[in-house]
Amino acid sequence: MSMNTTSGRGIGARLRRREDERFLRGQGEYVGDIRLDGMLEVAFVRSAVAHARLRGIEKPAGFEDRVFTAADLAGVRPIRAVSGLKGFKVSEQPVLARDKVRYVGELIAMCVAPTRAEAEDIAAQVFVDYEELPAVSDMLEGRKPGAPLLHEAWGDNVFLETFVDGNIAEIARRAPVKITRRLRTARQCMSPIEGRGVVAQWDRRLDQLVVISAAQMPHITRSGLAECLGLDHGKVRVISPDVGGGFGYKGILLPEEVCLGWLAMHLQKPVRWLEDRREQLTANANCREHHYDLTVYADNDGRLLAIDCEATVDAGAYSSYPFSACLEAAQVASILPGPYKFDAYRCRTWSVATNKPPILPYRGVARTGVCFALEVAIDAVARAVGREPWEVRLESLPTREMMPFDNITKKHFDSGDYPECLRRAVAAIDVGAIRERQRRGEPDGRRIGVGFAIFCEQAAHGTSVYYGWGIPMVPGHEQCQARLTPDGVLELRIGAHSHGQGLETTMAQVAHSVLGIEPENVRLIHGDTALSPYSTGTWGSRCAVMSGGAVAAACKEMAKRVAKIGAHLLQTDVSLVRVADGQVIGPSGSVTLKEIAYTWYRAPQNLPSDVDPGGLELTAGYKPVRDTGTFSYACHAAVVAVDVEIGTVEILKYVVVEDGGVLLNPMIVDGQIYGGTAQGIGTALYEEMPFDANGQPLASTLADYLLPGPTEVPDIVIEHMETPSPYSEFGQKGIGEGGAIGPPAAIANAVNDALKDLGVEITEVPITPARLLSAIAAAKVRSAA
Amino acid sequence: MKPAPFDYEAPRSLEAAIALLAQHQGLARVIAGGQSLGPMLNLRIAQPSLLVGIRHLPELRDVRQTADAVTIGACITHAEIEDGRIPDPTGGLLPYVARRIAYRAIRNRGTIGGSLAHADPSADWVSALALAGAHVTVCSPRGERQIAVAKLLLGAFETQIGTDEILVSVTIPRLSARARWSYYKICRKTGEFAEAIGGVLVDPDNGIRRAVVGATAGAPIVLEGNAALPGCDVAALWAANIDDPYKRQMFEVVLRRAADRIAA
Amino acid sequence: MKTVNMKVNGQPVTAAVEPRMQLADFLREQLRLTGTHVGCEHGVCGACTVEIDGMPARSCITYAAMCEGAEVRTIEGLVDDPIMSHLREAFAAEHALQCGYCTPGMLVTARDIVLRLPDADDARVREELSGNLCRCTGYVGIVRAIRRVLDERKS
Repeated sequence: MSMNTTSGRGIGARLRRREDERFLRGQGEYVGDIRLDGMLEVAFVRSAVAHARLRGIEKPAGFEDRVFTAADLAGVRPIRAVSGLKGFKVSEQPVLARDKVRYVGELIAMCVAPTRAEAEDIAAQVFVDYEELPAVSDMLEGRKPGAPLLHEAWGDNVFLETFVDGNIAEIARRAPVKITRRLRTARQCMSPIEGRGVVAQWDRRLDQLVVISAAQMPHITRSGLAECLGLDHGKVRVISPDVGGGFGYKGILLPEEVCLGWLAMHLQKPVRWLEDRREQLTANANCREHHYDLTVYADNDGRLLAIDCEATVDAGAYSSYPFSACLEAAQVASILPGPYKFDAYRCRTWSVATNKPPILPYRGVARTGVCFALEVAIDAVARAVGREPWEVRLESLPTREMMPFDNITKKHFDSGDYPECLRRAVAAIDVGAIRERQRRGEPDGRRIGVGFAIFCEQAAHGTSVYYGWGIPMVPGHEQCQARLTPDGVLELRIGAHSHGQGLETTMAQVAHSVLGIEPENVRLIHGDTALSPYSTGTWGSRCAVMSGGAVAAACKEMAKRVAKIGAHLLQTDVSLVRVADGQVIGPSGSVTLKEIAYTWYRAPQNLPSDVDPGGLELTAGYKPVRDTGTFSYACHAAVVAVDVEIGTVEILKYVVVEDGGVLLNPMIVDGQIYGGTAQGIGTALYEEMPFDANGQPLASTLADYLLPGPTEVPDIVIEHMETPSPYSEFGQKGIGEGGAIGPPAAIANAVNDALKDLGVEITEVPITPARLLSAIAAAKVRSAA
Repeated sequence: MKPAPFDYEAPRSLEAAIALLAQHQGLARVIAGGQSLGPMLNLRIAQPSLLVGIRHLPELRDVRQTADAVTIGACITHAEIEDGRIPDPTGGLLPYVARRIAYRAIRNRGTIGGSLAHADPSADWVSALALAGAHVTVCSPRGERQIAVAKLLLGAFETQIGTDEILVSVTIPRLSARARWSYYKICRKTGEFAEAIGGVLVDPDNGIRRAVVGATAGAPIVLEGNAALPGCDVAALWAANIDDPYKRQMFEVVLRRAADRIAA
Repeated sequence: MKTVNMKVNGQPVTAAVEPRMQLADFLREQLRLTGTHVGCEHGVCGACTVEIDGMPARSCITYAAMCEGAEVRTIEGLVDDPIMSHLREAFAAEHALQCGYCTPGMLVTARDIVLRLPDADDARVREELSGNLCRCTGYVGIVRAIRRVLDERKS
């Protein structure tokens, strides 16, 4: 079968997006745009304190039937996101708090009214009687014996402790260079511009609960809803319409979804809850709060010999569904080695329960944290041995000849040339010119520095990677349902969801590459459990590989079926025809897909007698040759100017050299890298959700929680390498998260390079002016001593 | 995030607006552009029972020029000042400051009087107009009175304006052609409220040497005469109880940089 | 309830509204013009930006009752505007949108930049866009799209 890769519209084309037209006219349909007849609005009463026993909840007089508490939700089960990992402790999260509240913002009561404003009026009158308890607001404090207990039955606050015990003693003893650092990444809010939102309705005709939710994983949400509400899956349909950004934030079963599902059934009326920004910032899922005690051993060239780490992740109060509270910390242990080769490794991790909102895997998941920790430490190694940081890295990167390469934690790097990636970044950022400029000094007195971060991004994780976690979701095969309509339009149904990734375009490009059908004649149908095959959904940079693979498989199967009919219509043998350009082409003539579709549906008398009775509607599945994931990788390089008087950091230049394998649509890939890098810049310099000692969140508006704007993000330069993955359908790799992984490390290293003469080393992000100035002040004290 | 219920009146005259405030005895609030009050209403931080809208009142959009000063109605927007649609007696200080307030969409509705009356210490007009030596005129059933912008704030979000008074105009003295000013602020990002503001004004023909440090915990610190230059007497800052070393450093730097720009 | 008269996308509208109703909610819930999106409800994110009396403004911190006599234009009312058509073309060409949620507000601001600052350089474009947050694109495509329209209108 020929591939239509040269038409300029298939795989590899910078094809404009199908979805843009509606968005550019304000015609997208997000959950907040949906208004059903007789719909009521919901506002929640949320806990005002971080840790308390609930002594009582008083509904305001006259509103008893408009306010619902845990006592009303008979039969609703708590959310349980378990892990099969040994020693994991289970948290039960009631969808409305029962006896205790464990974080500020936890749901206590649900209020309904014709408008949101009125629902908020009622919520303001609900009286909650708290018996306050001491709160755990810091993960390290929470680990200590005698800390207040969130889940009393556990005996401590540790969801899970893991230990990778490599023998490092011998290397540690003889390694000439030993660098020990304590590093931290702040708690963040993922902050899609659209918040969460839920519309729920009972469909009497279908005897089915319909939940419309801004969700990345509608099929997983459906499973969770069925479990919590005690319904069989057939009675739950989840629709995810246009969704205003996800980044991981919409990859969770929300207690609000369960509550609204129950409420729609109870009231037999449609209900809606739209998360507002204060709820998003102060009450819903967070991410990224890591603490590292890291020791790196190296030789005198700076070549890595061993890594020893104790990492703690602040997992918040409950284990979130489906990823669980332990995925992040356990992932730290498995991915901390990054792209490097070295000889010995030890890592102990703790997932700690604290009186804060649960965490979710955010774009890059634990990679952003481990990349920051390791790359900052490697720059410290470089300074210790007196070499350029990039030279030191080259000592420890696996070469192209070593691919595929199994690293120390058995991660299987499928392909690529990591040293070349680094060298290209060094050339693009022009390290020599920066060193010269540093010698000259800046006219405005600022200090400039250059920093690098190189990392890999495992994507499209398969069954073999996930079953070991034992969490509620394990990816398997991915399916696509394909149908040729009577007029020759190709409908593709997939279970993943597109909320900015442009799957309506890229999947059409895949179909075009297989069948030659014009992308305009392909329709992607997704985001509805009733209309799409089961899928774990959109997470882990998996859609290009998994949905792309499934669409290709379905199109190939479709090609076989149309070839059979086409050959018959052309009165030739099927072995003599090929499918291309949207036609079946024989030795002397061709027939279009449209004509073939017409024949199947409207003129079956013209079909061959041995035609496949399955017709032009089929389901095909896909799993990569190896399901350990594709490994895209990138090197980020940043040049910054630091104003040491006021602690500000300006990014002067930012380069990304990325190898994402074969690019389905380079324009969309670039968009993912730009956007991810902007988020990573937020992690590096701006975004932080602080809590006080009582567990009160201290950023409740976007004036406190700073998202990078157009003047905070530079014009990022991207260079591509395209080493195909040997395991995916077209050699493509997942690239959705990589942009967000590198910036904190690259920027911190650039800042540390700028300030190395002052003896300043930043080990915590975001690098705020206050942090930077206090580090400079501390260095002054040290050098004076 | 919807406001608690409130009533809304849009009186036809300034007198009627003042009368409404008097009737409601502290439970009413004036709203002009609403760019500062709006967020507080939506967050239910402010829960007035009545909002008295004034942005449409022609009296409050008056601009009067005299030989010594320009008087700008309270409901003139930041954008109008930014665009030079209002006479500028300061040789560019006003449009320079206006352009750096929040974002254009905010500047299109936010007003100079509203910003002053809202009294956020880190807002620009509080410092910039103190630097310019401006005063405001407030109006109540008892008549008019004038308050120097430098003395307007009693603390964060607290002013000398009584609950029955409306800020009607801002009067900005004319600077001479030889006047030089600088205004330097540090923000975490474009459009955010300032972390620290430093301003310096030297007008030899009018005998003005003045420096301002803003975005403090309350009113801006105004240094007059020799205290203002050169290098500014930063000791005056410690008197203002700035104990956070980080904040103190910021104030020192903005003031020095503002002064350096004048010197340059 | 207050009665308010305004023009929305050229059409006269008279409606009874609660004084606390945000203009954004009025447009979305009462007039069903859902192209205007609600992002933060405190004036920072810019998703709700519409045109009031010819100028971009936040519809989340503007209340419908206070728009007596105003002319409001939303993304829906700008569909046939020639500059908006030009911007749509450029946004698609430069991949200036992903999830589409910030896009209507971004376009209203972009149109204002094109009209008001025809000579803006990239730094100025970024400064002028700073009241509109996008979480998907890193702004690269948005700045390029506006650049393209500014340049093409000159030539």
